[in-house]
Amino acid sequence: MTTFYFAVAVFLLFNLLAGLVRVHRGPTAADRMLSALLFGTTTVAVLLLLAEVMALPALRDVALLFVVLAAVIAVAFTRVPKHLGEDSE
Amino acid sequence: MTEWAFDALLAGGLLGLAWQIVASRVLFRSVVLFIVFGLLMAVTWARLHAPDLALAEAAIGAGITGALLLSAYRAFLSRRGTDPGPPPVFPRWAAVGVAALVGALVGGIGWVVVGLEPPEQTAGREALAHLAISGVENPVTAVLLNFRSIDTLSEVVVLFVAFLAARVVAQDLAHAGPGDWLRASRNEPVLVQPLIAFIAPMTVLAAGYLLWSGEHQPGGAFQAGAVLAALGVLLRLTGRLRPTSEPSLAERLSLVGGVVLFSAIGLAGAGVASAVLAYPEGWEYELILLVETALTIAIALPLVLLFSGSGGLRREVR
Repeated sequence: MTTFYFAVAVFLLFNLLAGLVRVHRGPTAADRMLSALLFGTTTVAVLLLLAEVMALPALRDVALLFVVLAAVIAVAFTRVPKHLGEDSE
Repeated sequence: MTEWAFDALLAGGLLGLAWQIVASRVLFRSVVLFIVFGLLMAVTWARLHAPDLALAEAAIGAGITGALLLSAYRAFLSRRGTDPGPPPVFPRWAAVGVAALVGALVGGIGWVVVGLEPPEQTAGREALAHLAISGVENPVTAVLLNFRSIDTLSEVVVLFVAFLAARVVAQDLAHAGPGDWLRASRNEPVLVQPLIAFIAPMTVLAAGYLLWSGEHQPGGAFQAGAVLAALGVLLRLTGRLRPTSEPSLAERLSLVGGVVLFSAIGLAGAGVASAVLAYPEGWEYELILLVETALTIAIALPLVLLFSGSGGLRREVR
């Protein structure tokens, strides 16, 4: 079972790293931010798997914090003015 | 095998991200990548069996640093519009030279450390062996609040001094606030109020849980304080809290309360217990919980005020 959990965690981590392409390409600020927010969810899943395989229940608290605090970055992002939010490459 | 693949992927991802963050020409991309870096860092601490650090990374990274960077970006964009000064150019040879020196230093230290014999009797083993007399079950809290409480006390003083120093040099930062979301009836998206009504109690609950759980599992004053600070950041961003130039009496008391209470209990230890900063026997748990509660507030408030860039905060009457 441990191997299976780790295999799923590897898959999720690989997903996250592959998703970085969207952060890199953009093109809009919202594309970049949304993928980062999605990675937060992926990280929660990875942490829950690790809590199981490493027998560290405290990692569930870490996952809990990421869920509770996800809104902060989303709200902070919406305060970046839209017409200024696009970077010139 | 999969375990090895996971760690390799994690380490490679961290290094790649770090490179992208400093090398990227698009500033906003660096900001987003830094937020992602915080996520991977929390997973890394988890893999290193350090859930306390993973908790701190999650609370600080997701709750404060991300919002701070985005607000700084916002301030930078609006300032660049009025004053398009040329960016300072650092000569390439100087950068290469500094990088080579730092690389040699890090490599040298690493080489020496790898060659060292691991000591037989470490402070960590001592702490674990004497956990029973500390009054708490979590070894990290036992070290922070009992065996080495002088370090924790100085750290809180450092945070307070950092806040004071920032107040001396700070300019008014309008960009930490809600911008054009002036009133609930004006421009603010309809989803903000329900979101805060749901998130705010949950965050307070999570902070209280972390504070309480620090006694027997990873958690404690610092993590709880950072989570509370994240709530303050959210309220400041949405205009529920407004900046004031001077802290109120209650804010002043909260800012110094942790240090004063901790020092008072510590000094009292010279009379009623064996030494300064020692707890009287049988009262360890109660006193540690009391000090941690005061420290949570004394950590949360300076963090919010540093984010807000103001001396104090007041509630917005809606």
